[in-house]
Amino acid sequence: MSVGIQVLGVNHRTAPLEIRERFAHGPHEVPGALARVLAAGAAGGVLLSTCNRTEFYLVADDEPAVEAAWSLLGERLGGTARAAAREYGYVARDREAVRHLYRVSAGLDSMILGESQIQGQVRDAWEVSRAQAGPVLHRLFQTALHVGARVRTETALGMGTASAASAAVAVAGKIFGDLAGRTALILGAGDVAELAATCLTNEGVQVTLVANRTQERARAIAERLGGAARALTLEEAWPHFATTDIALCSTAAPHAVVTWERVGDVIAARRGRPLCILDLAVPRDVEPAVAQLENVFLYDVDDLQTVAAQATARRRDEVPAAEQIVEEETDLFWAWYGGLGVVPVIKEFRGRMEHLRAAELERAMRQLGHLSPEDRARVEQFSQALLNKFLHQPTVALKAAAEQGRGYGLLEALRRLFGLEAPE
Amino acid sequence: MILTLHLIALALYGVATVLALAQFVGLRSVPRALLIALPCAGAAVHVVGVSQLSLVGFAAGLSMLALCLVLLSLVSERLLRGSAVSFFAGPLATGLLGLAILTGLAPGAEPSAGRNAWFILHVALSVLGVALLALAFIAAALYLLQFRELKSKHFGQVFQLFPPLERLEQLNRFALIAGFPTLTLGVLLALGYAARFAGGLHVGKAQIVWGLFTWVVLGWAVWVRVVRRWAGRRAAFASIAGFAAVLLVYVALKLAQPGAERFL
Repeated sequence: MSVGIQVLGVNHRTAPLEIRERFAHGPHEVPGALARVLAAGAAGGVLLSTCNRTEFYLVADDEPAVEAAWSLLGERLGGTARAAAREYGYVARDREAVRHLYRVSAGLDSMILGESQIQGQVRDAWEVSRAQAGPVLHRLFQTALHVGARVRTETALGMGTASAASAAVAVAGKIFGDLAGRTALILGAGDVAELAATCLTNEGVQVTLVANRTQERARAIAERLGGAARALTLEEAWPHFATTDIALCSTAAPHAVVTWERVGDVIAARRGRPLCILDLAVPRDVEPAVAQLENVFLYDVDDLQTVAAQATARRRDEVPAAEQIVEEETDLFWAWYGGLGVVPVIKEFRGRMEHLRAAELERAMRQLGHLSPEDRARVEQFSQALLNKFLHQPTVALKAAAEQGRGYGLLEALRRLFGLEAPE
Repeated sequence: MILTLHLIALALYGVATVLALAQFVGLRSVPRALLIALPCAGAAVHVVGVSQLSLVGFAAGLSMLALCLVLLSLVSERLLRGSAVSFFAGPLATGLLGLAILTGLAPGAEPSAGRNAWFILHVALSVLGVALLALAFIAAALYLLQFRELKSKHFGQVFQLFPPLERLEQLNRFALIAGFPTLTLGVLLALGYAARFAGGLHVGKAQIVWGLFTWVVLGWAVWVRVVRRWAGRRAAFASIAGFAAVLLVYVALKLAQPGAERFL
C-alpha cells in the first residue's frame, strides 16, 4: 500500500476559460464530488474550485481514487469529450503536490501574480471539504494558509495593484484615502465603464450619476449598479463636475467630450477639493488641458496600465523570496508527513511484541521447570534474539518509508494489522 | 545615567530611521511591526531619560522636542497606516537628540523661581506646540511631494509609500490647528509664571518683537485654513511658512544671543 498526497486538476495555464468554467464546482457540489472520490479509496480529499482552477487534493494510492476524480471532471465535458479531461490537466504527487498547494496559496500560481483573493478561496475550499479532508489534508491546508500569510507578510509579493481596473482604484485611493462614501459620476455606458465602476463600488464608492448619449442605456447601467444612481444625458452631466469626487469616462465618442470649455469654470468652483478623472476611453474622452486645473488628477488607460505594470514588475522581483518560503515550508511539512507518528508507532509495536514474547516465555518456562538456570537464560536470550530478528526488517522499512515521505500508508497498515492506537 | 539612556534612545531612533529610509531607496521593506517597535522602545527609554532632566536649558529642550516628535510620529503612523511621516520625523528627532547629547545633557539647574505647575505646563505645552507645528510642516511637505507625484504621473516610491493626499491634508490641518493654540498657551503660561513667581519678564526686546512676528505668521496660517478655508497646496505652503518662521526666528535669536543655559 503506498498512500500519498496527490493533486490533479486544471488551471488557467492548462485550459482555456470555456473549459475551466465547465469544470468549476459550486460549494454545494463539493461534498458529493468528494464522496465519490472517497468511495473509490481515497483516505481524504479537498476540492479547490475557483474561476482559474479546479483541483482535487487527495490522500490516495495511485489509481482508483485518481481515476474517479478524472472521471468526475470528464463528466463535466460530457459526450465524447469525457476522456479529454486529462488532456487539459496535470497531476503532481507527494512533495510536488505539497509545493503546488503552497505556491497556489502564496499567489505564485495565480493569473495575476501575488493576488490575495486566492488565500480566501483556499480557506473556503478547506472549510467546505473539512468533513472529508482527513488529518493529512487538514494539516496541509492549515499550513498552506500559513504559507500564504508568511509570503504576504515577509515579501512584497502582494503589494501594489496588478490590473488596470484595480490600478484605477489604487490611484483614486492615493488621492482620497478611504474611498467609502465618495461619489462617482460615470460618462459612457460601455462594458469598460461598468467594470471599472463595479471595482469602485466594491470599495464603497457611491455611483450617483450615469451619463450617456442615450439615456436608456445609462438607466440600464444605473440599475445594474444598484443604489441611487441617476441617469443623465452627457450635456446634463457637466455641472456635476463641481461636486463629484471621481469621474469615470468611457464613452465611444471619436473625440474628447470633457473639454476645458465645458468643465473649466465648473471645476474652479470646487475651491481646491480634489477631482480624480479616470479616462478609460480610446480615443480619450478628456482633453489633456483639463489636467492643468488645480487639484484635477487625470489618468488615462496608459497611465493605469503603467501603474499595473510597475506593480507586476515589483512583484516579480519578490518571487525568489516567496519561492524560498514555499521551499522551507514544504520541507517542514514533508518532515512532518514523513515521520507522521512513526516513532511512537514503532515504539508501541515493539512494546506489544515484547509483551507477547515475555508472556509466552513465562508460559513456556512454567512447563520447562527442569531446566538449569543457565539453560533458562539461554532460552530467554534465544527468544529475545528471535524477536529482534523479526522486528528488524519492519522497523528499518518503516523508518526508510518515513524518510521518503511514504510512511503514512505503512503506518496505517501496521496499526490495522496489529490493532495499535490511532494517532492523535 | 542620563547620557546612557539618551544614547540608547538615539541608537534605537537611528536604527528605526535607517530601516524606514531603506525601503524608500528601494531596499527590501522591513516588517511594519519592527518599524513601530524600535521607536516605541526608544521613546520608552527616552521618557526615563527626560524624567531625570531639569526642564531648563537648550539640551533639555531639544531632547523633549525630539521625544514629542517621535511620539507624534508614532500616533501618525497609527492613524495613517504608513511610515512616511517617519521619513522626515525620524531623521529630525534623531538629529535633535544627537544635538542635545553633543550640547551636553546634565541634570542642570532648577528654574530661578522654582519648578511648579505653571512652569511644568509652560514647558510641556510649548514643546508639544512646536512638535505639532513640526508635524504640520512634515505633513505639508509629504502632501506637496505626493501631489507632484500624482500630477506628474510618476507612480514611483513616493506614490507607493506616502499616505493619500486627503489623509496628509487632515494631518496637516489637525497638527496646525492644535499646535498654534498649544504653543500660544505655553507662551502665556511663561508670561504668567514670570509675572507671578520670577518678579517680571526677563527677555530682550528682540525676543518680544520676533516672537510676536512668529505668532502672527502662525496665526495667519491657521486663519487661512480655518476662516478662508484654504486647502490643498496653498494650505500646505501656508503651514510650511508658519514652521519656517518659527525655525528661522529661533535660529536668528539663538545666533544673536548664544548660550546653552536657556532654550530661548
